[in-house]
Amino acid sequence: MNNENEFTGADILLKALKDQEVDTIFGYPGGAVLPIYDAIFGQNFLKHVLVRQEAGAVHAAEGYARSSGKVGVLLVTSGPGVTNVVTGLTDALMDSIPIVCISGQVPSHLIGTDAFQECDTTGITRPCTKHNYLVKDVSKLSETIHEAFKIASSGRPGPVLIDIPKDVQFAKSKYISKKDISFREHRIKAGSKNVDKNFVKELVNHIKKSERPIFYVGGGCLNSGHQASQELIKLVNKTNIPITTTLHGLGCFPGEDKSSLGMLGMHGNYEANLAMNKCDLMINVGARFDDRVTGRLDAFSPDSIKFHIDIDQSSINKNVKVNFHTNTDITITLKEINAFIDSNNIDFGDKDYDNWWGQINEWRKKECLHYEQGDEVIKPQHAISRLYELTKQKDTFVTTEVGQHQMWAAQYYKFSKPNRWITSGGLGTMGFGMPAAVGAQMANPDSLVIDIAGEASFLMNIQEIATAVQYKLPIKIFILNNEYMGMVRQWQELLHGSRYSESYVDALPDFKKLAESFNAVGVRAKNISELDDTINEMISIDRPVIADIWVDKKENCFPMIPSGAAHHEMLLSKYDKENPENQEKGKVLV
Amino acid sequence: MSSTSVYPTPINAFKQSKRSVLSVIVDNEPGILARIVGLFSGRGYNIEALNVTVVDVKKNLSRITIETLGEEKVISQIIAQLEKLVPVHSATNLANLSESYEAEICLVKIEFENEEQDQKILNFADIYRSRTVQKRQNFVVYEISGISERINKFLDDLDTIGGIKVELVRSGPIGLGI
Repeated sequence: MNNENEFTGADILLKALKDQEVDTIFGYPGGAVLPIYDAIFGQNFLKHVLVRQEAGAVHAAEGYARSSGKVGVLLVTSGPGVTNVVTGLTDALMDSIPIVCISGQVPSHLIGTDAFQECDTTGITRPCTKHNYLVKDVSKLSETIHEAFKIASSGRPGPVLIDIPKDVQFAKSKYISKKDISFREHRIKAGSKNVDKNFVKELVNHIKKSERPIFYVGGGCLNSGHQASQELIKLVNKTNIPITTTLHGLGCFPGEDKSSLGMLGMHGNYEANLAMNKCDLMINVGARFDDRVTGRLDAFSPDSIKFHIDIDQSSINKNVKVNFHTNTDITITLKEINAFIDSNNIDFGDKDYDNWWGQINEWRKKECLHYEQGDEVIKPQHAISRLYELTKQKDTFVTTEVGQHQMWAAQYYKFSKPNRWITSGGLGTMGFGMPAAVGAQMANPDSLVIDIAGEASFLMNIQEIATAVQYKLPIKIFILNNEYMGMVRQWQELLHGSRYSESYVDALPDFKKLAESFNAVGVRAKNISELDDTINEMISIDRPVIADIWVDKKENCFPMIPSGAAHHEMLLSKYDKENPENQEKGKVLV
Repeated sequence: MSSTSVYPTPINAFKQSKRSVLSVIVDNEPGILARIVGLFSGRGYNIEALNVTVVDVKKNLSRITIETLGEEKVISQIIAQLEKLVPVHSATNLANLSESYEAEICLVKIEFENEEQDQKILNFADIYRSRTVQKRQNFVVYEISGISERINKFLDDLDTIGGIKVELVRSGPIGLGI
């Protein structure tokens, strides 16, 4: 019986995506998703971006999501199509990025028979998604898709996967629109919307009492939305409390503001880590006490009262025990704190924490990010500093790969707005940055998008240059080329007697010629005199550009808290080789 | 019996750990058990015993009872992680409730060779009020229920009888907060 109100599974998927206001999908076709690709062929609301490998699709979706605040969507086929996205799904789970992955599956009657391109998709992706589904009945498809989007974007965001067998893509059913679905609350886990008044009161009281307070802000602030940033800026300005951010918190608070101590953690600023160590009040806004941030736990900020705002209940007391916490959304909580201060006419003007700021300014005098730029070889730090100076007038989006260049980017590129900084933090996925730049450029077609890369990471997803060329995405790949897996080499130098086992990247391609062979543009700076011109040329070209910046091969990333050390046991530079006591212990850590 | 009773812990290494019985209400849907078991194995938690059954057909709910070992901090983290799973309605540590009850059921088949053994077995079975499920010339099958500790004691006592062969199955504890 053919009913006019019935649609195929593939059409239902497209209708649901339209309903969810999805305008871009990253994907790669294959046998088990052909009916969906057929449906994509006959429509015009959805722009499909053909990546060159599925890993590119998932990182592009992450870049799209991070830079736009919307849910990123990708479409892959069964078997290898979906196993190729496992890394990206894990990356999105670790960094709380909302994405929805649609995967094809072999027809229902073949599931379990080791059919061609069959794999246990929901089994493989269960631990690396926030939730996943195998849709066996087309009548459940509409609500499944809508629930998937809701779950991906609610509470602590994350990746959700929907596996759709091929026969379900052909089968017919009614479409149920988003507005006709009533979500079951226990499944959405949106976090509390109710202000925890007691938390707010306690916090303000402790701020009044404290002498050495600090804000420690993470990616949760980003995920709570732009308003969270606005409220945070208001609160910091009112209270004059210093603020440090995690890698993912960069941009939630203007990096050049006088109250900003910059990033904290393993490669964080001296003043930020020392302030965390010595503070008497820590206000954690959406950060998760990650091991890169805390260093040795038993010496982590020993004298502070700790407040923690986090929508994820499992982040509370997981690594560090806190004194007060709330699971209410950050925007709501910060708003209430600001309102409480205003309505009670609490003035922090006389407080000002003069001694505390005096101490912090002493620490600042160490100039922990100082480097010596000579006349010839480009220092990688300098390359980032110049890139920042020459692009800061534009609304620039920066993605990165993983390694030394990533940390230098975090240290020397300053962000004034949220969502401009897109990096792989929790999982540390090399090869993330370039496809993420593709996604960021799709979401922000008129903005400058730069992937700050290392040559080793770049090689991991180099195929996506073709994607950028095909869709005329003028992304810039800014390679700090030192011919090494720099961070691996640095650890080998510090912890393994400079035995550089397999960290030299031999037989590198000529990146300029490589760019040209892809119909992109290649530029190069071999020494300091060519740096600014190369950067300016790169920015001026309205096409994908690979900039091959030759930098000092032996430069290391400092400051550094070696693994197993505490915040106050930082290494400041290569000249500061006070052997950390914990070297042997640090070797076994990551 | 209240759930505060102490279960003899087989591994001394877990001295810091407390035995906890967690009661989890979930949507009965494909993969839910895999999600829970995967959470435990992936994060390095212990499952000492596990019981899963549908308890509300209309609402499609299952109750899962998990016996686990861990410090209090770890148990709280397990609860928080369980409650993050989409199909989970609630996860409760029965020890945190003012009142809760536990029970376990055990089927045990005992093969014996002589009358003396038979008598001793019968004696213990009587003390523990086991129900005879089956009795043949050379073996007997009992059903015994109660808190886990009671079953442990029964089995310990059986152990004192030489020359018998014991085969058994246990449900693991189930618990209910009141």
